[in-house]
Amino acid sequence: MSEAIDAATTRPLRPARNWVLIIGALGMVSLMTWWSARGIGFSIIELACNLPGGRRLLVESWPPDWSFFPRLLGPLLETLQIAVIGTVIGGILAIPIAVLAARNLTPGFLVWFVDRNFMNILRTLPDLFWAMLFAAAVGFGPVAGALALTVFTIAVISKLWSESLEAIDMAVPEAVRAAGGSWLAMLQFGAIPQALPHYVSYTLYAFELNVRASMILGLVGAGGIGMVLETQRSTFEYPRVTLIVLSVLVLVLIIEQISESIRRRLI
Amino acid sequence: MNDKAAIRFKGAGVVYPNGAVGLAGIDLEIKPGEFVVVVGSSGAGKSTLLRSVNGLTPLTDGTITVGGQPVPKKEGRELRRLRAGVGMIFQDFRITRRLTVMTNVLVGRVAHVPGWRAMFNLWPAADREIAFKALERVGIADKAWVRAGDLSGGQQQRVGIARALAQEPAIILADEPVASLDPVTTHQIMRDLVRINEELGITTVVNLHFLDLARRYGQRIIGLRGGELVYDGTANSVTQEDFKNIYGRDPDAGDVLDEREAS
Amino acid sequence: MTARSTLPPAAGMGWATQVTLFIAVLFLVCAWAIDLTPAALANLPRQMVTVLSFFYPADMEYGATRVWPALLESIQIAWMGTIVAAMLSLPLALLGARTLFPRIARLVKLISATARAFPEILLAIYFVPIVGLGAFAGALAIGISSVGMLTKLGSEVVESIDMGPVEAVQAAGGSRLLALRYAVVPQVMPEIVAHWLFRFELNIRASAVLGVVGAGGVGGVLLNTLRYRHFEKAAAVLLLTILVVLIIDMVSGGTRRRLLR
Repeated sequence: MSEAIDAATTRPLRPARNWVLIIGALGMVSLMTWWSARGIGFSIIELACNLPGGRRLLVESWPPDWSFFPRLLGPLLETLQIAVIGTVIGGILAIPIAVLAARNLTPGFLVWFVDRNFMNILRTLPDLFWAMLFAAAVGFGPVAGALALTVFTIAVISKLWSESLEAIDMAVPEAVRAAGGSWLAMLQFGAIPQALPHYVSYTLYAFELNVRASMILGLVGAGGIGMVLETQRSTFEYPRVTLIVLSVLVLVLIIEQISESIRRRLI
Repeated sequence: MNDKAAIRFKGAGVVYPNGAVGLAGIDLEIKPGEFVVVVGSSGAGKSTLLRSVNGLTPLTDGTITVGGQPVPKKEGRELRRLRAGVGMIFQDFRITRRLTVMTNVLVGRVAHVPGWRAMFNLWPAADREIAFKALERVGIADKAWVRAGDLSGGQQQRVGIARALAQEPAIILADEPVASLDPVTTHQIMRDLVRINEELGITTVVNLHFLDLARRYGQRIIGLRGGELVYDGTANSVTQEDFKNIYGRDPDAGDVLDEREAS
Repeated sequence: MTARSTLPPAAGMGWATQVTLFIAVLFLVCAWAIDLTPAALANLPRQMVTVLSFFYPADMEYGATRVWPALLESIQIAWMGTIVAAMLSLPLALLGARTLFPRIARLVKLISATARAFPEILLAIYFVPIVGLGAFAGALAIGISSVGMLTKLGSEVVESIDMGPVEAVQAAGGSRLLALRYAVVPQVMPEIVAHWLFRFELNIRASAVLGVVGAGGVGGVLLNTLRYRHFEKAAAVLLLTILVVLIIDMVSGGTRRRLLR
């Protein structure tokens, strides 16, 4: 008996749960979900009712209209060209932007602050928004697409690479500075060589994203296969839409396989 | 005592899929309430011997009976029922670090409560009581609501022991329970295991690498070499010569925990 | 740099130089093919400044009346898509883990790779005629394309965990399901929820775009304002989008960091 009492006193009470946090978080999530589902008319019933119509569409979209394929070759090639240009220009411009945004390499706080915020704002807008903007600025066509992908590439590479630059070993760069080297010499001989494999890897990754993105840029008139897709879609030529979607997927998969195998060998 | 706690090996053998021999032709009987220490160099089959008792490593030859029941060779309800009565303690503790100590110990009750209760963490009061008793027995009841990962190594192993005790098992298997602990904690954990064996009469089989620990804490010592049984005797009668035979070489400083006891 | 001096001088062009040259030539060919001349490039900054001047001042009244509701709809699409994807991907992530279900994992990985291959907007092209113009089609498209990525990332988290506790639960007589409950789920949940939040951040951007094909949200508004050259209205779209995305990134990113600590 005395042992039981003794034991009971050493047993700690279960600490009260943080109900405010639990109910708050659960409440937030359910409220958001309720508000969203109501706002967009999300209903499983509607989905079920529309399934027959969906089946008709799928039946109509198959088989793809293979005879249309020769007319896709030109736009597909243009799509790849847009991706290459965007990646090359964007890849070059991303170098200074990433360096200035790396805390350990930047020449001054103000530069770092402005550059970092510039980078974050670039990242907020999706690729197609840039495509719409450039299409409005320089006119419909592949040049608008290439410029949009340039901005998109800068956003992707500079963010990732500035993080790799912040992770480098500072011994060599500091030695270069100590030996009287300039800031540029420090970058060239001390900092950048260390993070070069990452740079190449991120650029290839950006190229993969760009190939993917370039396929749909044409939806807003920024060149490439997407422009064909947009005309066929708006006239409900779904057998052709299916052919375009399939060829886009195959091309994207091929490019990704190649790029991924190169990246794997790098790091 | 009850026969539920007896383990009997008959021609037990394990050949792994890669062709390695884990156990070969083991004939062995462990009586209820015994405290058995299994020694041998690494790769001698100590772990395989232990893991075959609760079917974690299925036999490829022969049979093992636990309390007269043969150990099923396939996963399923029957094997789970057998495992419910056999507690296991691991070298690397194997507790879920992000859960509280209490929840980790309650895992020892999974096979004793309805599945839906275990699933939704709705443990009956009686099972919570058993879990608390188990924690008290290893002296860490005050840590019941702490995250298990925040405890020291020795305390984490006590959580592992409490989890095994919460099963209210007839048998405890301890696979190198002190190999990741410092010498002081090692002796505490070994004393805990001996005390539990004496107080509750649970048949206990412990794998140990260190000879001095085996001699000090074991009642009966079993030696394995290359998957075969090469020694079976009391801890008092084991000689330096026997150890040499078990290890296939002269025991050196790496085989004892406390070097002063080596000679 | 010191390594170079100890090596014998390279014969002919180095490997890196060759690659750089190849890329330069490829770039020039591509630029020529799409008529991107140096003159056009040089002209570009002036052109951009001219166009940008049209964007000022932003028409904030239009922003409040038309852009804001559309932006809210984009958030709703992204949220609903993420919720659907999270619910579907959680069991799939467990089934797709090689370490837990060696036989089913390959099939699940194949399915998730297929779902990942489709950009949201291509899915939306199919969903719009099925469920009609609007946000519902967008949410479905976002949801399905997110399932692929969340399943892949989730499986990777599950595959990286300590499998010891799983065996311990089974050694105590627990079923596989209970081993998932007590040994796997507690280990992976913080990382998996962090992935959900990250995907939500990406989905905000994706859903902003979907309006282009009539699947609801702010993208359609931007397309229309630019089509009719209402640059001050377009400016309102851009400003509000940047603001909302920045805020959501901050909140979501902060929550993720707290989860993973």
